Amino acid sequence: MKPTMTPTFKIIALLALTTLLAGCSATTTIDEYRPTGDAIDLSADERVVVLGRRDAGHYETDREFIDCVAKRMKGADIGVVPEQQFIDSIYPWFEPRTAPKGLPRLKRLMQDPLIKGQVDNQAVRYLVWLDGSTETLDQGGSISCAIGPGGGGCFGFAQWDKLSVYEAIVWDMTNLQEMGRLRVDSEGTSYLIGAVAPIPLLTPVKSDACTSLGNQLKTFFSAPEDS
Amino acid sequence: MLKTLVNKIAVKPIAALLLLGILSGCSSSASVQVTSEFPNVLSDPKPLSASIVFDEGFSTYVAQPNKKTLINLGSAQVRLLSNAFAGLFEEVEFVSDPETISGDHQLVIIPSIREVQVSTPSDNYLNVFEVWIKYNLEIQSADGETIDSWFMPAYGKTPDAFMASKSNAIEEATIIALRDAGAKLMLDFYRIPAIYGWMMEQQILEESK
Repeated sequence: MKPTMTPTFKIIALLALTTLLAGCSATTTIDEYRPTGDAIDLSADERVVVLGRRDAGHYETDREFIDCVAKRMKGADIGVVPEQQFIDSIYPWFEPRTAPKGLPRLKRLMQDPLIKGQVDNQAVRYLVWLDGSTETLDQGGSISCAIGPGGGGCFGFAQWDKLSVYEAIVWDMTNLQEMGRLRVDSEGTSYLIGAVAPIPLLTPVKSDACTSLGNQLKTFFSAPEDS
Repeated sequence: MLKTLVNKIAVKPIAALLLLGILSGCSSSASVQVTSEFPNVLSDPKPLSASIVFDEGFSTYVAQPNKKTLINLGSAQVRLLSNAFAGLFEEVEFVSDPETISGDHQLVIIPSIREVQVSTPSDNYLNVFEVWIKYNLEIQSADGETIDSWFMPAYGKTPDAFMASKSNAIEEATIIALRDAGAKLMLDFYRIPAIYGWMMEQQILEESK
């Protein structure tokens, strides 16, 4: 006789699956500061560059995250200059040792006609500094895998918490002033279940942080056709 | 019978080879060749002429920061420093032998490496690879008098070593350290007190203003 699932069993299985998947979503908070609520008007020939801070001792804002945020902004028809292209064009003034950490230093740099010329040539009107990292906070459980002549498998359960904290600061490269700040905190727990085959239930913490930050940054700027 | 034979004879060497293959994949030695190109510096050179000596030891330098790591730095550091010196001086001559320097240059600079250090995640307990390159610049006037022997440290680290091979991670950190050397040179060369004093003596600062 073919075994059949009772409706009660199906409901329990569905609830268990829903609970597991719900556990894999990240909690994301965004704080924003800007002097006015109006979006910044970007004309068709003005562009934005997104740069990562790399002067901290124990972490670096990773390029993958910068690219992800830049892609989200590009998706909103905002002209974005690639990070490495901008840094190379202005070498060595935006290296970790020399990059301006505050507006006074930026003002001094922009007094150099060569540097200002390069910024203007690339039509960079706004610079977005991204600073932050994704770290694993807590991890628990254990999983072990074994292989033998008759086959193999993994058994156990492991979980870990990840936290992404990133801050974005927007500078106006023409008026040399700060236009606003954003901070995103994204936290979530991932699981790995060993039931013969390892089943990963991963929470996309960094991806959520990128999506949220990218979307929020888009609201800072109004693309040419929107204005 | 056949099954027992296969188990005893064939499986063991295959398993041993497989294990050896896996373990060799975990080898922690790294031989790095830095092949990256470096951007030109954005700078207004001062009205000075200099002769830069990249001797053979410097242009073919291979660092061995520890027993298991080799970094072939020579050609990369020559490319990087050539760009940087061209941004510092209006006229630059690059020679490989101090004997071949033409006499009409105001400065002679002989770069050398004091030490290269590498730190891996197993050393620093961080998920980054770090590279330090400690340069020394012997700066002489045209008549061979030493103006200064300037220590110039440079530092680079990988953004994230996750999934990167040790060689790739060290190469990336080395490239960042070399770029940092260029930045340090551009930022600080004319701030060296001995160079500043020499330029005041030569009345070069007034000319370049």
